[in-house]
Amino acid sequence: MHRRQFTKLLALMACPLPASVLAQSDGENWTEMFAEAVREYPWLAAWGNVEQDRYEADAVVRGNWPEALQGVVYRTGPAQHEIFGYRNRHWFDGNGMVHAWRIDGGGVRHQARLIETLKLQAERAAGRALYSGLSGAPPGQAGLTGPNDVNSGNTSVLFHHDRLLALWEAGSPYEIDAETLETRGIYNFEEPGGGSSMRGAPFSAHPRVDVDGSVWNFGYASAAGLLVFWHIGADGALRKAGRIAVDPMTMPHDFVVTEKHLVILLPPFHFRPAADAMGFLDMHEWRPQDPCRVLVVDKNDFSSHYFLELPAQWIFHFGNAWEDRSGVIRFDGARAPDPSIMTQTFTEIMRGNPDYGRAARHYGYRLDTRARTISEESMLEPGVFTEFPSIDPRVGCRQYRKLVFLSQSEADLAEHGTLNEVNLFDIESGRRDWFRYPDTQIPEEHLYAPRPGSEPESGGWILGTAFDWRRGRHIINLFNAEGIADGPVASAELPYAIPLGLHGKFVTG
Amino acid sequence: MKTSKTISAFLLIAALGAYTQASAETLTIVIEDIDDATGILQVQVMAGQAQFEGEGAVAQFMEPAVAGTLTFTAEDLPPGEYAIRIMHDLNGNGELDTNFVGMPTEPYAFSNNARGSFGPAKWEDARFVVESDVTQVISLNP
Repeated sequence: MHRRQFTKLLALMACPLPASVLAQSDGENWTEMFAEAVREYPWLAAWGNVEQDRYEADAVVRGNWPEALQGVVYRTGPAQHEIFGYRNRHWFDGNGMVHAWRIDGGGVRHQARLIETLKLQAERAAGRALYSGLSGAPPGQAGLTGPNDVNSGNTSVLFHHDRLLALWEAGSPYEIDAETLETRGIYNFEEPGGGSSMRGAPFSAHPRVDVDGSVWNFGYASAAGLLVFWHIGADGALRKAGRIAVDPMTMPHDFVVTEKHLVILLPPFHFRPAADAMGFLDMHEWRPQDPCRVLVVDKNDFSSHYFLELPAQWIFHFGNAWEDRSGVIRFDGARAPDPSIMTQTFTEIMRGNPDYGRAARHYGYRLDTRARTISEESMLEPGVFTEFPSIDPRVGCRQYRKLVFLSQSEADLAEHGTLNEVNLFDIESGRRDWFRYPDTQIPEEHLYAPRPGSEPESGGWILGTAFDWRRGRHIINLFNAEGIADGPVASAELPYAIPLGLHGKFVTG
Repeated sequence: MKTSKTISAFLLIAALGAYTQASAETLTIVIEDIDDATGILQVQVMAGQAQFEGEGAVAQFMEPAVAGTLTFTAEDLPPGEYAIRIMHDLNGNGELDTNFVGMPTEPYAFSNNARGSFGPAKWEDARFVVESDVTQVISLNP
């Protein structure tokens, strides 16, 4: 009996990854290389190492913060990039820091704390960097029992059923106290019948909130070759989960939800772990000759699904999606020709190589669920590169016409060479209004904040943070959505700056 | 709480025809950081890489779990290379439970506190030499 059990243990555990992430460290001192680069390119400080494990300050406010705008911008992002002297080899490997920008009747107060992940605690106990990341590995690295060993909670947040969760790409959510920002630990959704089969199952960083307040998400388990789909009720409990085998597996980052379907793009970045891989990205092979597969799943029955094909492409983020009565789905996304911004740019920037690159252009997609066809078309003029699309949350998973996103224009790049424009784009009219940030500031994701009592996509604000690298200050700016080109109508500035984060949510109230 | 359990490897090894050494050593296995006093702790001692990667064991233990530390003793081990696997069968269903994507959801550990990479520890990391009496201290929740 014992033999059989242990044999099962081995069989279960033998299928996953080889020991490839135990490849040798590169032995280079990136901390020194980066410090040298920052002296020449001071804006690289936006990718520097966080200096404290917590922050709290009243921001110095300017302009007119409207009384009607009350709520919190919760954000997360990689912040601790250097662990006892070892500088991470990838931007996304940084230990996560969660932020709250509390906006209340004209005052703005900021809090931030490093997320007390299992990874952070293990590193602190060991007094050194322990784990391989997306790229590279520290000397004498430890093995991994599963993705949550390296889950940094650094990618996005979800505020659902009065619960704040910090999300990562391939592991479990971390629950964060919404008031103190203390880490409560790994969060497991309540399962029907008190089950525990979803514990540790991957819950990706870009869940979608449906009109009924329920939440859809997916997750990928590379070694198992499985995509997992989640549906969480508005009451916070798991309604259902499903699995779909995908071969070859890839690294999907985001997906879209319509009235009837879930749609997920599977770029040809094939999971093919090699024995000498240096980090997780290195276990993948980009195959531009292969199609980008499109998985279309019935919301009501995850077992009902099919695949379509697009030309090879890489997408981090989608704006939104909706489906008309004839079964035609329209969605948009920031489409790159290949994953080099992730595989090269975001590694090089950690070394201090200042060539940020220009990757993604905004595309619209038309998917006919009856004819089972899909087509794509550029939404903006050539030379405009986009990222961080967001929408009025009231139109999530439904018909929409306004998009907020960051961009950069080939003909008018910032000194820092990264995204420097914030846009409001009207999909129906094609009108794009934008504000160009001063070159001393690097904007982060900007979010649509509805004005209380207003119609969807009308009369709202846009809230966004930015890193002022010249003054070493973090700021939050407020725009009138319909007057975005006029620039911020109000701002608030902190006495410090924190390395660039990734995604957030505005929570009204 | 400490509990000591002792087993002689003599009979098991003799039965396998592997008992060729005149000397016999004692292996003490101290399992620490047992978080939960429910369920069964299963401990398996394997002789050599083939057995570690295949089937069978030279010593096996199965005891109700206690919170804290449990100690097991395997006696009469001939000198050689060994490795240990431990699993904490929390719900006593006789299996290492796994989640929706096949990952273990019950605690497990290996000798030397070796950890695998998204999988079981490698023989190279888990193996240890028995030349004289030896103690392995293994954390169940590293």
